[in-house]
Amino acid sequence: MFRRNRGAGPARSAEALRLDGVSKVYGSADNAVAALDNVSLSLPAGTFTAVMGPSGSGKSTLLQCAAGLDRPDSGTVTVDGAKMTGHGESGLAKFRRRRIGFIFQQYNLMPTLTVEQNTTLPLKLARRRINRARTREVLTHVGLGERLDHLPDQLSGGQRQRVAIARALVTEPSVIFADEPTGALDMRSARDVLRLLRESVQEHGRTVVMVTHDPVAASYADWVLFLADGRLAGDMYAPTVDAVAERLAHLGDTVAQGANGHHTHHADAHHLDAHTINVRTGD
Amino acid sequence: MMLSLAMRSVRQRPGRFVGTLMAATLGAAITMMFNSLHDTAGAVGVDDASSETLTLTGGVVGGYGSLLVFFAIASTLTINVRQRQEELHLLRCSGATPAQIKRMVMVEALAVAVVGALLAVLPAMLGGRLLLEMFKDTDQVAGGVDYAFGPIALGSGFGITLIASMGAAFLAVRRATRAADGGRAPRGRARTIGGLLALVAGAGGASTTFAMPSDDPALMAPAAYGAILLSIGFAALSPGLLRMLLTVFGRPVSLIGGAGGYLAVTNIRRRADQLAGVLMPLICFTGIGIATLYIQAVESSALDASGLTRSVDDKNVETVNMVVVGIIVIFSCIMLINSLYAAVSYRRAEFGRQRLIGATPAQVQKMVVVEALVLAGMGVFFGTLAGLAGIVPFTVARTDQTLPDEGLGIWLGIVGIAAAATLVTSLVTARRALRVPAIESVAVAA
Repeated sequence: MFRRNRGAGPARSAEALRLDGVSKVYGSADNAVAALDNVSLSLPAGTFTAVMGPSGSGKSTLLQCAAGLDRPDSGTVTVDGAKMTGHGESGLAKFRRRRIGFIFQQYNLMPTLTVEQNTTLPLKLARRRINRARTREVLTHVGLGERLDHLPDQLSGGQRQRVAIARALVTEPSVIFADEPTGALDMRSARDVLRLLRESVQEHGRTVVMVTHDPVAASYADWVLFLADGRLAGDMYAPTVDAVAERLAHLGDTVAQGANGHHTHHADAHHLDAHTINVRTGD
Repeated sequence: MMLSLAMRSVRQRPGRFVGTLMAATLGAAITMMFNSLHDTAGAVGVDDASSETLTLTGGVVGGYGSLLVFFAIASTLTINVRQRQEELHLLRCSGATPAQIKRMVMVEALAVAVVGALLAVLPAMLGGRLLLEMFKDTDQVAGGVDYAFGPIALGSGFGITLIASMGAAFLAVRRATRAADGGRAPRGRARTIGGLLALVAGAGGASTTFAMPSDDPALMAPAAYGAILLSIGFAALSPGLLRMLLTVFGRPVSLIGGAGGYLAVTNIRRRADQLAGVLMPLICFTGIGIATLYIQAVESSALDASGLTRSVDDKNVETVNMVVVGIIVIFSCIMLINSLYAAVSYRRAEFGRQRLIGATPAQVQKMVVVEALVLAGMGVFFGTLAGLAGIVPFTVARTDQTLPDEGLGIWLGIVGIAAAATLVTSLVTARRALRVPAIESVAVAA
């Protein structure tokens, strides 16, 4: 439904996202904080991944670097087989347009545009043809078929986030990044949003990476990556709410151990592969 | 409680008040400078001829200058309060009542106005003294007249600055709190009525020129008042006019302008009310600029035509008059740049949101340029109308012609400055806003 015709579109790589040794340091030399410390990972197409970790663990930085909104200090990001090498903001913007969709915690809708105009804006910016019928199809699917001409301030938070999802879907990106997409929503709207994200993966083959601190949200994903102090600190396949919460609660322990020198991280140990998951943390 | 909060916010965030403070200071300085001529004329022992020159300049230029200052300060304050919706919303969330918020904004406006007027006193005295010297050098005022800076200068300066800023703050904050109560801002019926009244008053003012004797030295006063009031009227009605314009030109502009043009058109359509805040100084600058400069030029050539041989002194008088008018024109140009800067720099977060969903900086700049072009076109058009409404009656009364002989030079100059100021200020401000990484510019300021 969200792909007109597989054959007509660009050939998709089996690997939707790949990070190789990505590091990002904030601050100056004497009080530098490594937000990301040599992170490598690989996500196959058609997966729903949640990235979790305590505040300050680097999960937002990971998302921003992976999505091309921020530039890593070292390492490479590869989206759908294409290395992110855009020069300057304009180059990065053009790279993102074709490959990346983004869903923000604060929706990030243009207040002056209607629901339908907001949805098609990325296509307009990329000077791509706008298929109105398909746009409406997507908006109907997210439950906003009756609200095409509404402005964002006439919608509830959940509805706004569903507009943002539709906007991310119409461009048919290789990866959709979602930054705390349910962070500002009530439980019911949050559930709708998470279901939509999961559907877009399971039924329509999209790839979704979601940053969240909520174990309930993470339980909708296929697997969860844990992040602590800017490093990958394990993962979990077919997560349940309780298991995620449990792991999160003890994430601090392994970090403390690591700080004491009992535990050493090595980037290769966290080279995650979708099909062969090997957890090598907390050893 | 709200008083101390207001003072804290002025002290902690001085940057936000720079624009309004500048408007208040400059405005008060100009008002006091011209009105101090009344004080000077009223002093004991000033001869009749000197007194007449001084009261005339103080009355005519001081009069319409003060009117202009009033609206300039009011429009800057309106933009300022409107841009603080988010902060006011936070205050509401933390339990402030609308009355408390109103009081806070009013106290801030009062503080800025008082500080602005105080800062203006010295420059105004200096400027007034220089003006007097120029009048003395050209023998329009007797050499023995002493400069005086008294109650009329102070009263008018403080009065106009305080009334304009507090009045505008009151209206703006009332609109803001009402919008928060009822969801949407009320459609500006009061604004439409006010705009129509200003148009009527302006047209009336301009036509009283016909009722005055053609050699009345204050002949240019009603024409200038008329031009200013018409400018205000057009600006107040501009949201409706903008929307009308867009129903005709919206489509072609967004087709030619690409994504940037498309965004510009939707922005103007939805934000027509806010844009009126920028159109006001733009229309005023164009209207007042061409009206006063042409009127002065017509006046000079009318003197030529009267057959009196022109002495060096006459030329000097002409120069002084041009300087006086020039001060007003420069003031309105600074106000134009000030409002444009405030309006565009406020849009940093909006630009950030656009960039995050795939707009390149070039597309954002294109949007800003298209908006500036539409604004400039609109401002120049209505400014010219307002200006003509002042020029034509004056020219008819003074020379029996309809249009001045001076040609298009002045008009081209003013229009060029208006368009350049609009485009350059918008673009430079936008580029500065674009230098901040998109992800940071979207983040809500703590």
